[in-house]
Amino acid sequence: MRHLLAAAALTTLASTAGAAGPQLTPAQRTATHAMFEHIVNTPTVIGRHKVPEMAQFVADQFTAGGFPAADVHVIPYHTGSATTGDDDTAAVIVRWRAPGTPSAKPILLMGHMDVVEAKREDSTTDPFVLTERDGYYYGRGTIDMKDGITAITQAMVNLKAAGFRPKRDIVVLFTGDEETNGIGAKKGASEWLDLLGHPEFGLNADGGGGGFNPDGSPAGFAMQTAEKTFAGYTFTVRNRGGHSSKPRKDNAIYSLAHALDKLEAYRFTPKLNETTRAYFTAKAQMDKSPLGDAMRRWLANPNDGEAADFIEASESEVGLTRTRCVPTRLFGGHADNALPQLATAMVNCRIFPGEDPNAVTAELEKLVADPTVVVTRNDDNVASLASPLRPEVTAAFTNAVHALHPGMPIFPEMSTGASDARPFRVAGVPVYGTNGAWVQVPTDFRAHGKDERIPIQSLYDNVVHWQLMLRDLAGK
Amino acid sequence: MKHIMLLLLGAAVSTAAIAATDPRTVPTQLPPAWQAKTRAVFKQAIEIPSVHNRGEVPRVAKLLADQFKAAGIPDADIHFMPYEALPGDKTEALIVRWRSPHATKKPMLILGHMDVVEAKREDWKYDPFEFREEGGYFLGRGTSDMKNGDVATTMAAVKLMSEGFKPDRDIIFFYSGDEETQGKGATLGSTQWRNLTDAEFGLNADGGGASYDRNFRPLGFGISMAEKTFQTYFFTTHNRGGHSSRPRPDNAIYDLADSLETLRTHRFQPMQNPITRGYFEERARQEGNSPLGQAMRAWLANPNDGAAADAIEANPLEVGLTRTRCVATMLKGGHADNALPQTAQATVNCRIFPGVQPKDVQAELQALAGPKVEVTPDPSYIGVPTPASPPRADVINAVKAAALRFHGPAMHVFPVMSTGASDGSFFRAQGIPVYDVDGSWGISPDDERAHGLDERIPVRAMYDDVLHWEMIIKALAG
Repeated sequence: MRHLLAAAALTTLASTAGAAGPQLTPAQRTATHAMFEHIVNTPTVIGRHKVPEMAQFVADQFTAGGFPAADVHVIPYHTGSATTGDDDTAAVIVRWRAPGTPSAKPILLMGHMDVVEAKREDSTTDPFVLTERDGYYYGRGTIDMKDGITAITQAMVNLKAAGFRPKRDIVVLFTGDEETNGIGAKKGASEWLDLLGHPEFGLNADGGGGGFNPDGSPAGFAMQTAEKTFAGYTFTVRNRGGHSSKPRKDNAIYSLAHALDKLEAYRFTPKLNETTRAYFTAKAQMDKSPLGDAMRRWLANPNDGEAADFIEASESEVGLTRTRCVPTRLFGGHADNALPQLATAMVNCRIFPGEDPNAVTAELEKLVADPTVVVTRNDDNVASLASPLRPEVTAAFTNAVHALHPGMPIFPEMSTGASDARPFRVAGVPVYGTNGAWVQVPTDFRAHGKDERIPIQSLYDNVVHWQLMLRDLAGK
Repeated sequence: MKHIMLLLLGAAVSTAAIAATDPRTVPTQLPPAWQAKTRAVFKQAIEIPSVHNRGEVPRVAKLLADQFKAAGIPDADIHFMPYEALPGDKTEALIVRWRSPHATKKPMLILGHMDVVEAKREDWKYDPFEFREEGGYFLGRGTSDMKNGDVATTMAAVKLMSEGFKPDRDIIFFYSGDEETQGKGATLGSTQWRNLTDAEFGLNADGGGASYDRNFRPLGFGISMAEKTFQTYFFTTHNRGGHSSRPRPDNAIYDLADSLETLRTHRFQPMQNPITRGYFEERARQEGNSPLGQAMRAWLANPNDGAAADAIEANPLEVGLTRTRCVATMLKGGHADNALPQTAQATVNCRIFPGVQPKDVQAELQALAGPKVEVTPDPSYIGVPTPASPPRADVINAVKAAALRFHGPAMHVFPVMSTGASDGSFFRAQGIPVYDVDGSWGISPDDERAHGLDERIPVRAMYDDVLHWEMIIKALAG
């Protein structure tokens, strides 16, 4: 689930998209295009059984690039749930071994090969035929995230061909069900951890990235360092029911509606962590509006709840200042002429990193303050953790971005969504979303949507970006 | 849609000198052989899950028809009338004519319905479609609404036929198959099938009945002669939706919840009619000088005394009798756990005071719900207001005699307005007066479980209801 930076026009810094910087050779460009076209044209939607085919193709790129077959693995696994259906999928694991005995643990490079469904009739061109038009590549997965799969793979092949020898192992994990059940990531953070060499940290191509405004001015690049915990809750009210011609004061639907009214008015306690503090600091520097004022006030005084509330109320910042819960589904009653015996609401929460979802249960119970409204959890997700900002990663990301886009503002970012990074963060492997693709904001925010696309130059810049990152982090 | 009469004898009426007996422990007067026959038919009827859309109603029709047939009703007088109620709901009505060899009066109609309200296994203590006898009760969906009435009317006729009784007027039994959903059977029965059903008046087994309080004091026997108009409305909200990680102040579920909070506290204008005035006069007499009795007298003396009407309406036993009432009964909304809802909808069921137009209620609901909520009537059932039936001395006297036999002189019989809607309304609308006179009874409020959980009827109430109908039939057609 790609979350590109949703920054609005923030700066007056003059720059242009695709400024001349380090470039691929024509042969590298051709190879990149060929790989990208092949994998976009492979419809890796759940239920279509195409991920294993793509996994084998990607693995073949590594072996053709000179990586020993013993270090390139295609691992089939099963994914499924009641809501997504089942599929046989696969992961790719590649280990680029450093010569000798490296002093540091491996760096993990992450991505996912599956894509969200796209229907032919909903799209202008066939979403599973890579189409070049108006300076863009169109197709499902072009920004979420076959661009990142292509970039990591091609960057490693190019670096190996150039004679680069990493000073620490680089391991790759491409999963096959991030958009649905995330089983690949859970396995990666547990049973496959030995194969991955217990990496020191991970770089996820399914996060980060940047943008330019329609006028060509830079909108900034984001490095994702934290994500909120996704957790589902159910509010359940039971009642003895009865005949609807004789309404009573106790009524399951009214009790539920009253609880939802309380939830609507409730705000969790605002919180700052290292990531969001750095994010708001960077934003406040460029934002002279009342929103920027509120950010400055909150940063100066984290107890200034009013300032935090003002920020949270902004459509661009919603979800970034605290845990948020919202009802998403309702069910109730069994006949139009009977008092309801059961009424339920699904409440979807995005929990601030580090907060225990069980503590949120208790907080929901407390705010509802009605023992007839029973609050239960729908999953066993554990608290997501923020990854501590690592100076060498921040520097490598900044240097790579600036090599291609001089003067580009850079933010750390907390995602309000969920990705493959979460189980690794929980398992103690910090993960940073450091992709280098860029788009025009907000017109190109089409992940999961109609006519997904990537600027042509962005695809090739991303390969260079990953080469620069790897040289910086594994070459010293 | 069964509505057992419920009345509470005020503390002021001190009949406490007489030690009250638990009516459930009094032996039934129905002979053991007829108990066994009745129980066997009742068990079969309860175990047919004749909920809408399940296609099971014809099995109930066949079960009842088989009893009439075995008792000697010729095939030509037994009519199975298939029809579609809700879209796709293939159901059936049963019409049986018990002919008089020497009819001296116009026919009499006996009404019931064979369908039941949905009951979910997971909500109930036991399987709702498994017949159980436990603790002096029969349990199962339909035991009080109203397979009891179907079986009692059928078995009363069968018993009378076996004893050689010859009615002096034709008796037409009409059992519909969609009373709980559409009432289409009653609509057809009162119009297109009128050649089979035309009668001087109707007796509905889907209403009436006696009740006792928890101290076993008789609360009364109500004969329903008027009923509120049934109309369901939908409260619907729409929203552009979005990703649930980014909640917005505009939210379809919150908008709906806000309107339900308003609905919860809204009260319609109090109203009276001759039936409810008669009812409250009786109730005021029972209540004596209790606060509730005083409120009733105050409201009868001054129909504009809204505070008195509110005090009456707030009493759990009088709910729905002073005005139109609406209540939220169902909810749905949203399409995915991780998406902001694009729509949310509540079903609001209204029981409209006779004489009030449903479109006026809609306007009032729309005004209270506000502009973010769309209020529309359920297009599958448009309620038609119906007139009260004129009191008939012969019917009231027949019921009084039966009530005296089974409950003693303390059980008062008087007219009521039903807050439920039944098949009777369609016949009233077509000029056939209808009186709800079933003889089932229960303990109020513990046994009021029609449409609810763990529905039940006292065993004796079921058996005595056969004798009750036997008396009613003899009195009105003998």
